[in-house]
Amino acid sequence: MIWRSIGAAAAVAACILTGAGSAGSEELVRIASPYKTTTLDPSRSAAAGNIETFGQLYARLLRRDQNGELAPGLAESWEISDDGKTVTLTLRDAKFSDGSPITAEDVVFSLLRVRDHPESAYPAPLQQLAEAKAKDEKTVVLTLEHPFAPFLGNLEVFNAGIVSKTDVEARGEEEAFASDPVTSGPYQVREWRPNDRLVLEASPNYWREGYPKNDGAELIEVGSENTRVAMMLSGEVDAAREIPWSQVSDLQTREGLEMPLEPSTVIYMTLLNEGRAPFDDVRVRQAAAHAIDVKAVAKAMTFGHAEPANTTLPGALDFHHSEYPGIAYDPAKAKALLEESDYDGEDIVILISDIADIDKLAVLLQAQWAAVGLKAKIEKVDRGVWWERIPNGDYDAAPSWWYNETMDPDLAARWALCGTCGNRSFYTNYDDPKVNELIEAAAAEFDPEKRTALYHEIQEITTTEVSQIPLYYPPFTNAYSARVEGLQMTPALQWTLEETEVVE
Amino acid sequence: MSRLSVIGQRLLHLIPVLIGISVISFLLVKLSPGDPIRMLLGDRATEEAVSMVRERYGLDRPLLEQYLVYIGNLLQGDLGRSIRYRLPVGELILDFLPRTLFLVLYVMCLSVPATVLLAIAAARNQGGWIDQSIRVLSVCGMTIPVFWLAVMLSRFFGVELGWFPVSGYGETFIEHLHHLFLPAVSTAVWLVPLLVRNLRAAILEQMEADYVTASRSKGLPEGYIFRRHIFLNSVLPTLHLLGVMVAFLIGSSVVVEIVYAVPGLGALMISSVIGRDYYVVQGLTLVYALGTVLVTLTVDVISTLVDPRVKL
Repeated sequence: MIWRSIGAAAAVAACILTGAGSAGSEELVRIASPYKTTTLDPSRSAAAGNIETFGQLYARLLRRDQNGELAPGLAESWEISDDGKTVTLTLRDAKFSDGSPITAEDVVFSLLRVRDHPESAYPAPLQQLAEAKAKDEKTVVLTLEHPFAPFLGNLEVFNAGIVSKTDVEARGEEEAFASDPVTSGPYQVREWRPNDRLVLEASPNYWREGYPKNDGAELIEVGSENTRVAMMLSGEVDAAREIPWSQVSDLQTREGLEMPLEPSTVIYMTLLNEGRAPFDDVRVRQAAAHAIDVKAVAKAMTFGHAEPANTTLPGALDFHHSEYPGIAYDPAKAKALLEESDYDGEDIVILISDIADIDKLAVLLQAQWAAVGLKAKIEKVDRGVWWERIPNGDYDAAPSWWYNETMDPDLAARWALCGTCGNRSFYTNYDDPKVNELIEAAAAEFDPEKRTALYHEIQEITTTEVSQIPLYYPPFTNAYSARVEGLQMTPALQWTLEETEVVE
Repeated sequence: MSRLSVIGQRLLHLIPVLIGISVISFLLVKLSPGDPIRMLLGDRATEEAVSMVRERYGLDRPLLEQYLVYIGNLLQGDLGRSIRYRLPVGELILDFLPRTLFLVLYVMCLSVPATVLLAIAAARNQGGWIDQSIRVLSVCGMTIPVFWLAVMLSRFFGVELGWFPVSGYGETFIEHLHHLFLPAVSTAVWLVPLLVRNLRAAILEQMEADYVTASRSKGLPEGYIFRRHIFLNSVLPTLHLLGVMVAFLIGSSVVVEIVYAVPGLGALMISSVIGRDYYVVQGLTLVYALGTVLVTLTVDVISTLVDPRVKL
């Protein structure tokens, strides 16, 4: 035993002396994130870690360029018919990672799979797609139920990535996506160690010449935020997601590290359960909203790094109503509203899960509500329970966050503000017929000015009626090392990995 | 009865233990609220997709039926599939097991020699300054929270000095030693004091024993008495404590595994509990139970080797 431990100690010492760590000739971009990859099948999940992975593995028909504008992806060009109902896309000569050509058949197969597969997690972006046909090898004709302005943008969403029909049919769905899927994007899977890391390597056949600008990437799952900070500081990773707010200022001053705080489509808000008393009464919701000093909350929660939220939609989205004044902090008005309402003085339940700093947020809400006479008790449960109770309507208020996977507000509005789109306005049971109509009208409107007006109206109505209480728009707290250049996260949660160069 | 047949019998006792544990863990996991499928499919997943997947995994069936299916598969050596990764649970656990075992062995290699040296030094200098300082350090080691110590060591030796990695497991044996050094030290710091106090007390007790006085009166050399009699007689209680601690470590490695991002059993357990990955949690519980029983058995066997008076 003694000899073994001396041997071990000697080995450790040898490592230290020789400068340890064997850097290979390959340069991988190493990223630490709390979010897990749980599947490699783009249709099967819409959870945060997976959508980051899908974006790297599967190319879409359109992509976002460096300015965030829609640009040709696998589709070289496209044409929209005069009635707005037919989109004809011409594919470029591109290949899957296994060298086989990407054809119109593959595109049709991939899109219909997302729309129709019974286990497709998020068919919403392709709901308006009526028909998809391969006209020839390189031409895809997509017919829509009705004219739909956000459609091209939705073709860029993570689950609209193109998969190989031949491979999925040959190996079967389970096997094809088990560990080494055929990919159409910049990367393919070298090694997947579930619950630990995903190692990507450059696809030899990616259509963008000269991309990716690195050999590959390692997406490492690190649950503890302190550990991510330590890994960043010790240079063990090149980028890290979700640095705690309290350490942002410290990291910004460190040499060799950068924290650009990129804008995100994330919004922190409080769900209010409008399916039961007291929040079924709009006056109680308004009272709850006027009672909260959103500016102070944003500052306290993010050390001044986030903008206070002024509408029910994320601040980075297109057509966000940035001039709207928001809900004023007015405790006197809140008290008056509460008095004339049906609120009977009973405790409401603030339901929170185990996301970062959420206890602090819940306590801030509780205190400000108590000040106007709205009594609340906080219940903390883990994520699994939270996601069981919210859809079941077993809560009164629930501070949390959500994001939108594309810049167009259509999907966001359908998810959070629409009573007839399948999930009852993010399970708040908010259902305003006028808003539901406006959401459809805005989606069918191609004129940007008119669309702007429609989305502004949606935001004004839902904010006044307090469908949710908007709190703040946090930027991403990602840290980057000077070892890499060109890496950032788009507002819709996609890494610009293919543009990333390892410079040291 | 021969030693082998006793060991065989002890292993047979495992069967009811494992069945009992499988029932309890199955019920605990299934009866705790929470929806694995919603977390798996993402916030915006449709109700239809969630219920489809739930059905596919048989999570909508009656509890008894689910348990019978589970036990049926278990008897054929099939631990089921991970709900999150769609991988066989056995495979997943075998991937993560070596890292935790490595860590536990590493902790042993650091702790056992340190314990023996410190305990002997303390006992032979009873009341002296060496004894006193070992005692003070022991109290410090036992009272420092592991979590805090692990974070501090990682910040100082990992980030500031850059001597050790602050995360991961490495690829080669040498890298494992290097990567797991801080996690192992963080654990040894609370383990060694426990063992030292135990061993020191036992040695002191034996030093007062009549047979020692008798040996001295016969003129046996002090060093011989210590090695041959006192030490061997003192070591048993500590050996048992060590056994309990090893079993405990396999389960409690989670703290250092989280702080140092070591992909071991503890890290797998935590994320599986949070993600309600039922079959992985159950599989891990069985592995922990098996581990505990095997460690205890090993300690018992070693005890009979150290002291022939001890019967299995």
